[in-house]
Amino acid sequence: MTLAITDVTKKYKIRTTGAQVNALNGVTIVLPAKQTLGIVGESGCGKSTLARMITGLEQPTAGTVTWNNEEIFDKAKNMLSSKHSKIQLVFQDPYSSLNPRQKIGEALSEVLTVHKLVEKSAIPARIDELLTEVGISPDLAHRYPHQLSGGQRQRVSIARALASQPDLLVLDEPVSALDVSVRAEVMNLLIDLRERLGLTYIFISHDLSMIRHISDQIAVMYLGRIVESGSWDAVLENPRHPYTRALIAAMPDHTMVGNDLYEAPLAGEVPDPAAMPSGCAFHLRCPIAVPSCAVNIQNLREVEESHLIACQEVK
Amino acid sequence: MKEKTWFSYYLKSISGVIGGILVLVMFTISILSALGITPHDPLIQDPVNALQGPSAQYWFGTDQFGRDILSRCMDGMRRSMLVSVVAVSIATLVGVILGIVGGYFGKFLDGFVVRFSDVIFAFPAILLALAIVNSLGNSWIDTSLAIAVVYTPIFIRVARGPVLSVKEMDYVKAVRILGFSTPKVLFSHILPNVLPPIVIQVALSMSWAILTESGLSFLGLGTQPPDASLGLMVSEAQSLAAFAWWTLAFPSLFITIAVVGLNLVGDGLRDSLDPARRSS
Amino acid sequence: MSSPLIKVSNLTVSTSDDNRTLVNSVSFEIAPGEAVGVVGESGSGKTLTALSLLGLLPRGVQATAGSISYDGKDLLHTDSETLRSIRGNKIAMIYQDPMTALNPVMRLGAQLIEVIESHEGQSGDATERVLTAFSDVGIPDPKRAYESYPHEFSGGMRQRVMIAMALLLSPELLIADEPTTALDVTIQQQILALVMHERRKRNMSMLWITHDLGVVANLVDRVIVMYAGRIVEVGSVKDVFTNPQHPYTAGLLASLPKASDKNRTRLVSIPGIPPKPWTVGESCAFSARCTRADDQCRTTLPLLRENSSTQAACFHLMGEKR
Repeated sequence: MTLAITDVTKKYKIRTTGAQVNALNGVTIVLPAKQTLGIVGESGCGKSTLARMITGLEQPTAGTVTWNNEEIFDKAKNMLSSKHSKIQLVFQDPYSSLNPRQKIGEALSEVLTVHKLVEKSAIPARIDELLTEVGISPDLAHRYPHQLSGGQRQRVSIARALASQPDLLVLDEPVSALDVSVRAEVMNLLIDLRERLGLTYIFISHDLSMIRHISDQIAVMYLGRIVESGSWDAVLENPRHPYTRALIAAMPDHTMVGNDLYEAPLAGEVPDPAAMPSGCAFHLRCPIAVPSCAVNIQNLREVEESHLIACQEVK
Repeated sequence: MKEKTWFSYYLKSISGVIGGILVLVMFTISILSALGITPHDPLIQDPVNALQGPSAQYWFGTDQFGRDILSRCMDGMRRSMLVSVVAVSIATLVGVILGIVGGYFGKFLDGFVVRFSDVIFAFPAILLALAIVNSLGNSWIDTSLAIAVVYTPIFIRVARGPVLSVKEMDYVKAVRILGFSTPKVLFSHILPNVLPPIVIQVALSMSWAILTESGLSFLGLGTQPPDASLGLMVSEAQSLAAFAWWTLAFPSLFITIAVVGLNLVGDGLRDSLDPARRSS
Repeated sequence: MSSPLIKVSNLTVSTSDDNRTLVNSVSFEIAPGEAVGVVGESGSGKTLTALSLLGLLPRGVQATAGSISYDGKDLLHTDSETLRSIRGNKIAMIYQDPMTALNPVMRLGAQLIEVIESHEGQSGDATERVLTAFSDVGIPDPKRAYESYPHEFSGGMRQRVMIAMALLLSPELLIADEPTTALDVTIQQQILALVMHERRKRNMSMLWITHDLGVVANLVDRVIVMYAGRIVEVGSVKDVFTNPQHPYTAGLLASLPKASDKNRTRLVSIPGIPPKPWTVGESCAFSARCTRADDQCRTTLPLLRENSSTQAACFHLMGEKR
């Protein structure tokens, strides 16, 4: 089983201005089963759009997303393919990801009923099992989401995703909204579940420290494109693209106390995706840009085994 | 842990409790009248006792034909309630379905729903109701239908607005990704979360429907003599009120009770269904 | 040490209607030119503490005890006119969301002019000062910014405008409430570098509120760790981050993934969630989640005490044998 994202492009039209936004620009990813791909990037890089494509919430403008050689979005029926529940999404905000008028037990039993995954009589036992699996006391099945803490709600969201027995979980900033002291527990839970259930993860975050902790492979995105991707070692130990280097340098690090003079690694701001710069979208902020960067579109190329970058200036 | 229901919050609202009592009284009166339990027959004329003031025999006095005003008020209340309940039920059902479906699917369907409600909104409500009653007929069903058509766009609007924001919530996306059928997404996940403003609108619209029914009857459409209707009674009492105040006062009082009661219930529901207004 | 610029003593903040304590007996000082970080999770009372300094507590919440002495006055018990003259002038504040500080329908130049005029009256060189302030904070085209509205700027640029506004009257103390939390990391780094530079240049004191330990590590001199409305540890940033004494601080630091950890071992986690400050009574608020807690912790309130490196409110400091 493999997730294959092939040359996916997503364009949106802004209704008020008529401007076209290229949220994704020819993204290709191949992820074998039981691997974790970390996708890191800043706002506007397209990482959340990619999550919506992989889970079939939206259809790519061009290109295909397949799991197990089967298209996620059934173009003929203009709806999600029936095999679809094998891919689930865990959202960032634990306060909006659960129906406020549904007890958490009901939310889980609904999934089990719709997909007919267990006998009707076995549903209560399965709910207990799912809640236990994510570290929540089954006694809480009768609670409403607002009676739970943020960390508990995030666990319930994970349990709901697991209820459909998925193969692939897309985790879109799953710990960013949680309190710092609660994040570690949820990260540990995700790692345990991955091992116990043999799951494949796509872990999306702006926080490189979390990506670093959980990923096997890493893709760095900037303005709708992957600018660097490869194995954990390649990207983090030997970053080649100037943007990846800047991102790593900008990561606040509590273990580096007393290096007190800050130097911002990158000048300028992320350009508006509706007014994309020509050539390499990063050239306006790039410390090593040359004039031709404003003209040449950079495609990913292999610089060493399983290490791709999109930059002409890196040899 | 005992879960606090919306009802316990409702009971804390003074306007809600008063409105609730008034509405209960109205329903009791309507049911008594429907069962024929009125002091006198509302249609029996007693010319000898015409235009009597309130007395032990006729609590609210009698009209120009000697009919008992209390009995006629009760009968009128029943008819007003019937029209109001039927009209608002139809408007709610049609309006909410159109609003939810339009809001959720967007695009062409939504455009159609929005235009439809804009067209109806463009007419003054009472004029449109008049036109419809004129073309349909004068039975209570025709009156109900006319009022339902006029109020449907209100429910479209009340349902559609919240759907636009709720459909973007992560929990709706989550159940879509889980492969739930569209009706299930709409009615188990979206409808419950847009229900509070609809419930409030039902209470308020019922009070307006009573006024509209009275207005139509007052203008000679809607309920026809000799049947009693609160609006018709007020209309007939116009020329009598100068020397027989009770002919106008009591039907007016009943209309007031109905409208104020339902409005207070609407206020109470708003306070109890909206978590932000609950003083916990 | 020279006399402090501002001294907060036993500050207690409670809700007005049901008297729930949200900030409990918080005391600290800030020396002239010193940068202090306040670190805590949501509900720890860090933001309310900062807002108390400016008399800007939200409705329904009030300071019920303690004092904040600044320039011979107690800011908790002074008239609103005095507070107003200090606010924005001697003590300025920047927020997480610049849109709450900027008027959306007023040109930026006019908003900054207004700040000058409200404290100093008409000033002939006001325009010049505003343009200088814009260029100081790295706004590329100050003249254009002067004529712009807030919505025409990106989040990072709005944050720069807010900093320019806060620094306009050369305050002695800048209070920052998570001003970089909503920004991208590369932009966050730019803002941190800017603030650092301006602080050095002006020898300004700073109180920086954050939940992100990485942000304050290189930004402040001293750090205050808050938990459930109380200060649990205070010390130099180096001591607190490298040799934490309170089990909560130690647990929090240990729970963060470390760049140096190549093997990616399991993260050390703190079980449970922070309690509501008003529910803990006379006990250590962290005792329910603490592996070192005993009966004493659950029945007696530990006070801050000096030890090898920092001050921590705990009976069983990390540096002590159990």
